[in-house]
Amino acid sequence: QDLDRGDRANQEEVEHRRRLLEEWMAWRANIEQDVREEREARGLPLDPVEGLVKRDEQGEDQVIE
Amino acid sequence: MRPILLQGHERALTQIKYNRDGDIIFSTAKDQHICAWFAHNGERLGTYHGHQGAIWTVDVDPTSTMIASGAADNTVMLWHIKSGKKLKTWNFDTAVKRVEFSEDGSKLLAVTEKRMGFLGTIVVFDIDLDPEAEQSDERVMTITCEEAKATVAGWSFMTKYIIAGHEDGTVSQYDAKTGEQLDNRQVHEMDQTITDLQWAPDRTYFITASRDKSAKLVNAADLEVMKTYVTDTPLNSAAITPKKDFVILGGGQDAMGVTQTSARQGKFEARFYHKIFEEEIGRVRGHFGPLNTVAADPQGKGYASGGEDGYVRVHQFDKGYFDFTYEVERQARQNL
Repeated sequence: QDLDRGDRANQEEVEHRRRLLEEWMAWRANIEQDVREEREARGLPLDPVEGLVKRDEQGEDQVIE
Repeated sequence: MRPILLQGHERALTQIKYNRDGDIIFSTAKDQHICAWFAHNGERLGTYHGHQGAIWTVDVDPTSTMIASGAADNTVMLWHIKSGKKLKTWNFDTAVKRVEFSEDGSKLLAVTEKRMGFLGTIVVFDIDLDPEAEQSDERVMTITCEEAKATVAGWSFMTKYIIAGHEDGTVSQYDAKTGEQLDNRQVHEMDQTITDLQWAPDRTYFITASRDKSAKLVNAADLEVMKTYVTDTPLNSAAITPKKDFVILGGGQDAMGVTQTSARQGKFEARFYHKIFEEEIGRVRGHFGPLNTVAADPQGKGYASGGEDGYVRVHQFDKGYFDFTYEVERQARQNL
């Protein structure tokens, strides 16, 4: 009986975690899409840093030349 | 996880920051100089001298060209990382407790201290990431904290909001263009100072640490508290780990509040919690005093902590860390 109770508690815990994980992943999918659309609508690059890093590397190349 | 001990500060650490690539660590302390270190071996890359008081805060721009620092000498300084040259000094009426670059490095905010005759403020500057450029003196925006001073602040995704944590345990959301306060919420216990605010990689949510012994995960768009991490000690810092869904909390009772200091030596711990399940999953000991600052490597390879004991401890995560997975996480991955 104790074992049963333990199993049930454990099962509830696992279900609880599964719910939390699903909620989180659903929120992430939503927010990532919202931000992507908003960035596009505002004409902002999807990765705010990508262009900057490239510009910096080009600058270094010029110094080497 | 065998740590690398970085020895170079003589006083309590105040903030640690990794650059975007995770290969350089910047640290500030009450000893008036900023240190830069190679993350993989702990070798010191350089120091930045010029402040005349305890340094409270540092941040590095996303291209790893410049760092900004704020100090008890009422200044913010901008430095060229490679040459160590000071590029700019901005003066204030009071100490500067926090600085942060926006996601593209084009703006810098500074949180100023409240003192007799001066309210706490959040001041914004435009930054030119060209190290040869003349930096502007102009404060493009000043937010004055009439109610409770801000202790920490940062820029959200798309530089849309400025989010601030206050000494009264509330979090504010401001329009980053106009400075108008859009929202203010009692996120932590009333009158329990918010001691840290760090972003998720995409800046859509952040974690706050508080003296109320908890850390909270908050949605930047609506200030909804999504997760709470409960501990038994006042917290000074909290970080979100990329790659794995963990958070790292640092704090500890001040030496004065501890009856038997010797018995606790080396026992101040960084605590790891599962970000989504809110459960504690591990602790890392080592510091001889409270952890004042924790930082996660943006590439997810490790973390660093800075203590009241004057040490920076850098940890590279091992296989066990990456392998640690809950059953439901394994299942969810298989179903993708």
